[in-house]
Amino acid sequence: MWRFALRESGRFALGLFGALLLAAAVSALADSGSGASGFAMRTAQRLFDFVRLDFGTSAISGNSAAQDLAARAPTTLTLLSLGALIAILFGVPLGLLLGTGPLRRTTAPVIQIVSAAPVFVAGLALAFAAKHVLGWPPVEGAFPQAGALLHGDAGAFRVALLPALTVGFAAMAAIQVVLRRTAGQMHDAPFRTGLKRLGLSVGEIDRVYVAPMLFSGLLANLGEVMLALLSAAVVAEWVFKTPGMADLFVKSVALHDWNLVALILFFFASAALVVNFIGQLAARAVTEAGRVA
Amino acid sequence: MTAPIPLLRRLSMAIGWSGLILVTLAVVLSDFLARTQAGVAHAAPLLAQPSALYPFGADDLGRDMLSETLHALNVTVANAAPAAVLAVIAGGLFGFVAARFPLPLRATLRWAIGVLSNIPALLLAILLIGLTTRGFVAAGAGLAAAPLAFVRAFDRACAQGSSVHAEYARATGIAPSALLRRDLAYEFRDTFLSTVARALAAVTIILSTVSFLGFGAVPPHRDLGLMIAAARTTYLDAWWTAAFPALALLIVILLARLAAGLEEGERA
Repeated sequence: MWRFALRESGRFALGLFGALLLAAAVSALADSGSGASGFAMRTAQRLFDFVRLDFGTSAISGNSAAQDLAARAPTTLTLLSLGALIAILFGVPLGLLLGTGPLRRTTAPVIQIVSAAPVFVAGLALAFAAKHVLGWPPVEGAFPQAGALLHGDAGAFRVALLPALTVGFAAMAAIQVVLRRTAGQMHDAPFRTGLKRLGLSVGEIDRVYVAPMLFSGLLANLGEVMLALLSAAVVAEWVFKTPGMADLFVKSVALHDWNLVALILFFFASAALVVNFIGQLAARAVTEAGRVA
Repeated sequence: MTAPIPLLRRLSMAIGWSGLILVTLAVVLSDFLARTQAGVAHAAPLLAQPSALYPFGADDLGRDMLSETLHALNVTVANAAPAAVLAVIAGGLFGFVAARFPLPLRATLRWAIGVLSNIPALLLAILLIGLTTRGFVAAGAGLAAAPLAFVRAFDRACAQGSSVHAEYARATGIAPSALLRRDLAYEFRDTFLSTVARALAAVTIILSTVSFLGFGAVPPHRDLGLMIAAARTTYLDAWWTAAFPALALLIVILLARLAAGLEEGERA
């Protein structure tokens, strides 16, 4: 386990360095200059600045890029947290129900169609259904902070509902995909036949051997779920006019505000790397615990 | 050698490819099938509902939705095809070959592309289009889809590199380049079509999303993503303005997924 943790830590550190290098290269575009050597020098300079936590100035607002990011971060983090919460509360049980049992084959065509739907189409369909089925048209307004939601503010809940559901559904779909993939790999695994010959019932095999492996598979692919969450946040913020980091990224690219683009890119890449790292370690721990048990 | 493909998956692949051929036919004949040219306003009453005369209805500018959807499908497929080819070359093919490079170069490439695969492909595509121009939208989408394809192909090639046949080849003195040629030939014989279809599904999602966000197609040459974006102000009361282009988009992606032989639990 320790060797594995050390290797994963090394990979994680290298990944973070790579993300930092990429962000520095993007940020170097902000300074005009010519030639590949000039660009390499500027990238090295920006890398050095980043290490000193100097992320440059936004070309649009004139504020420091870190300030602009900090102003938008709570919205995106709240949206991501709500999406993750929805995905965990509903996605995991639904994934286990539809992805592992006898319903796995029956629901395959539906999941195939869900996998083919781009997030923005799902977001628009959700808004349409909310208006015509629930009588809740999309509400525009400042996206509520976590505090307002925790205090049960109905208005805040209405504003947050559709973007959070869009992000949550995208993450649910990613969880469903991961669980089905893991279940599919284990469906015909030779150990099942061996354990049946040893006299274990299907229920026992599923509970004692398959369930920890499914859980471990989900943890090992948390990075994939995080990427789905981040992509969905970009679309949800755009569709529902929620001014978060992802919305800022789109606008910054359109206006060539490269310092801000670089910082947001680094933030998103780091988030995916952190979640992937934690997921890999947790998956290994679950597998080891299963072996010991 | 890959394992034989199960019958059910063969059937779904056949359905997928047949559907994609039909889509290609619709694209080729779009100018003939469409009643009006792209972007012609007031061809129908404003926001006309679907009817026998206007099967897909009309939008808020009176554009015939059937004609517009056909033209947009044409633009989407015309962008997605080269993007998919680029994703296969820069991702699948390069990844497979890169796994046989000398260790330092191989490790560096795997690390660099691995970092890119930790960034959502949508953000990468937006960044690449922002760095160039909208004329490079297909290239941007293809390159954004490439890191994941690279990682998959690289890891598969690494597994093949330590397989039994590779051990035998090395032991009998077969040159690494000959072994690479042999593995590449088998890889492409067995997986080329499904790799292309998989890339097509991935880039179609990316292309339509970047267009929806305003980074892709430019009017009057609207693609399906831009058509859906344009319907944002009307679709809550006139569902047909978004539903038909969305349905066309969903069908193309679904057919590409089926053609790739992707199981429901696999990412494009």
